[in-house]
Amino acid sequence: MTMPSHVDMQPAFILHARAWRESSQILEVFCRDHGRIGVVARGARRARSRWAGHLRAFLPLSMSWSGRGGLCTLRSAEPTARSLEVTGMRLMAGFYLNELIMKFLERGDAHPELFAWYVQTLEQLAQDHDTEAVLRRFEVTLLREVGYGLNLTHDAVDHQPLDPEQTYQFVIEQGAVPVGAGQSGQLVFSGADILAIGSGVYSDQRKLHSAKRLLRVVLDHYLGGRPLKTRQVLASMRRCV
Amino acid sequence: MSFTPLLQRLLAALSCLPGVGQKTAQRMALHLLEKDRDGGRTLVEALDEALNGIGLCERCRMFAENSVCPICATERRDKSILCVVETPADVIAIEDSASYSGVYFVLLGRLSPLDGIGPEELGVEILEHRLSGGEIRELILATSATVEGEATAAFIAGLAHSHNVPATRIAHGVPVGGELEYVDSGTLSRAIGARTSFEG
Ligand SMILES: [Zn+2]
Repeated sequence: MTMPSHVDMQPAFILHARAWRESSQILEVFCRDHGRIGVVARGARRARSRWAGHLRAFLPLSMSWSGRGGLCTLRSAEPTARSLEVTGMRLMAGFYLNELIMKFLERGDAHPELFAWYVQTLEQLAQDHDTEAVLRRFEVTLLREVGYGLNLTHDAVDHQPLDPEQTYQFVIEQGAVPVGAGQSGQLVFSGADILAIGSGVYSDQRKLHSAKRLLRVVLDHYLGGRPLKTRQVLASMRRCV
Repeated sequence: MSFTPLLQRLLAALSCLPGVGQKTAQRMALHLLEKDRDGGRTLVEALDEALNGIGLCERCRMFAENSVCPICATERRDKSILCVVETPADVIAIEDSASYSGVYFVLLGRLSPLDGIGPEELGVEILEHRLSGGEIRELILATSATVEGEATAAFIAGLAHSHNVPATRIAHGVPVGGELEYVDSGTLSRAIGARTSFEG
């Protein structure tokens, strides 16, 4: 879908902002109907900016802008609800989501379903959900939305439903291949663990750990060597505390 | 254009200053060359001496001309209260308010995970060293009210907690003398959320 040259009142979130020229900002925006776009907010860094503190990540916004291709120009940005109140160290999980979207979505590709899932994910982060489980569910959805969906229900050889008791080797770009029970390795999982990753329901820590192991390898594969900066920063924060 | 190579280089150099674009750089350069060559020489000396003579305080990372800055060096400050700020400009602003008698720690930035800015860049090792010294009774978080500033505050509060140092956060709200109707909605909702009991 080509983007019109004027977009009005589009539900949107700011993923990231960086300083631009003397007093402006370039915003990476994730919006419902046009996906990821780049928008210039003129004067956003002035003390008395007309955007008045609204240009924050995790704040549901209604945005209007002009221009298409390359950078658009922000015309208005109004909060549509209270901030989703992602606070404290949970902000780190939010930054991670934002980086995933920036790395996996091409500019201008619409992903309305992923947008809805992003809103839900932020709501869960704001509540008392297990952060790790929330992130794993988002990663699985993101991969599916951008065309790298994982087969987490059937085996890749004879296409039978996964057996929770069986051991599988997960082969990237193919799926779960049955192996002997004594097998071990980075991508060897029980059928039950793979099914849990597919359903997003994690009944114990082991399943969650398996999910992290699998998704890390799969995400890294599709990132093709580009590092996730939020992951690196989080690792060095963990070394401190 | 009739700029000589040296003049061109001067214009380019002046443009590194905030607020100085091509036009302003030109005005500054022509002024110094035409009317105030002595002023220009004084500027060169002062700049050179400042760049060579000013480093960072080894205790708080504020600008310092010795190994320790004047605030850390003086006996008159309360060394048991540590206020964590993002920039030297924040220290100057709090000092101007004349409301604080403790000492500081300057992060020289804030956590910005998407830009790859983490604890190492903020001198957290030095901060940890101070927290583990046992001298500090309260840590005040005075990072900015941005999402990155909040993540930074949460992280440092965690550090303080792991060293059994209580952490407080400065209040955010309606400016003194400000009319409520002109306060932006974000600030207002924060101010209402963090309301305090009123001793009339
Ligand atoms: Zn100092």
